[in-house]
Amino acid sequence: MEKGLIISPYEIVGSPLCVASDDGQKVFERLAAAVKEEKSVTVSFRNVTSLTSAFLNAAIGQLYGSFSPGEIRARLKVKDMAPADLALLKRVVDTAKEYFKDPGRFSKAERAALRGKNA
Amino acid sequence: MSTSDQNPAKSYALSDIRHDQAGFESLVRLYAALKAARFANLEIDMSRVGWFDADMCAPLGAVLYRTGSHVNKVSLVHLQPQVETILSKNGFLSHYGRLTVRDKYGTTIPYQRFDVKDDRFFASYVEAKFVQRTELPRMSTGLVKRFRESVFEIFSNAVIHSQSKLGIFSCGQFFPKRNRLDFSVADLGIGIRRNVLDHTDLDLPPDQAIVWATSERNTTKRGPIPGGLGLKLLREFITLNEGRMQIVSDAGYWSLEKESVQTALLSAPFPGTVVNVEINTADRRSYAFTSEVKEADIF
Repeated sequence: MEKGLIISPYEIVGSPLCVASDDGQKVFERLAAAVKEEKSVTVSFRNVTSLTSAFLNAAIGQLYGSFSPGEIRARLKVKDMAPADLALLKRVVDTAKEYFKDPGRFSKAERAALRGKNA
Repeated sequence: MSTSDQNPAKSYALSDIRHDQAGFESLVRLYAALKAARFANLEIDMSRVGWFDADMCAPLGAVLYRTGSHVNKVSLVHLQPQVETILSKNGFLSHYGRLTVRDKYGTTIPYQRFDVKDDRFFASYVEAKFVQRTELPRMSTGLVKRFRESVFEIFSNAVIHSQSKLGIFSCGQFFPKRNRLDFSVADLGIGIRRNVLDHTDLDLPPDQAIVWATSERNTTKRGPIPGGLGLKLLREFITLNEGRMQIVSDAGYWSLEKESVQTALLSAPFPGTVVNVEINTADRRSYAFTSEVKEADIF
């Protein structure tokens, strides 16, 4: 993996409390733009003290609606996470993979529209 | 023309309010009595209330706010001194024309109403009124982090699912002798039963709708952002902590304590959803996961 971009939720949110879905959306928009352009990106959680599933679902879980697990695995890394936060992120990712397997929850049209929007 | 000031007051009596099924039953009965009122002077007679668990100000505040939104004037009258003191210390009575009293023992987390866009304001409130308060019990760093994240999960859940237009209400109380901290969040949204019906076509009784929503893998979430973890994470934390969790939504009552779930139907609906958590502040677990999860294995 090439040396890539580093994205800091702390910097994007402007707070160590990464708890709101709307703030996660801001992180998602940057990550989606980078993955779409096939850029390698690392999310550094340095200085983040609180995380919720709501934030991580919006910031990272949502990526699985636009990109395949293979694309995400190839492009995305995380660092500077406490073990408990890492465990939470793993659950968010596993839940997101399950969620997007159910076509009733998220149609192909929505998926295509979102992918286009992030182009 | 008749105005609320010219109308004689209608009085509604409340009894003791504890954070349990009976306490919620009293609040839904109060709401059933108040919900049809329009342009009225309404007095809540507190003369028979000898005990009020302060965190229950969140659901009471929600009921009274909904009532006030129908252009009614609501007053709390005939408060017994000990109840007046606790409801003044946490700022609840200041919403009904009285002064806030200084909480010299620092056992209250103040009553507050938030709009659904107030995530950051809520986060600041939790930091200022709970995390940074030196008077509150000494808890392990891991417990503080899990508690803080749990209340954020509750708030986010209300923001994402409730569709509340009248806000979200919260309040907490520390009980030093019992090593317990209670925190309640109430919203005035569509409730869990309606959410489950709208998104899954499952027409469940209100208590069973809560059972469904708190079960692994179930979510009413649709659209581009996945969901369905918040209540499950909360449930896991409360089980580990040996605390208690209660949810009231519509006429459904659900509680979790010592890994045992109890459900019941209340006699009338609550106009939204309440989540109450009671955490064991004497819990000395570190909550520092010795997780097998590695950064390279996440995706």
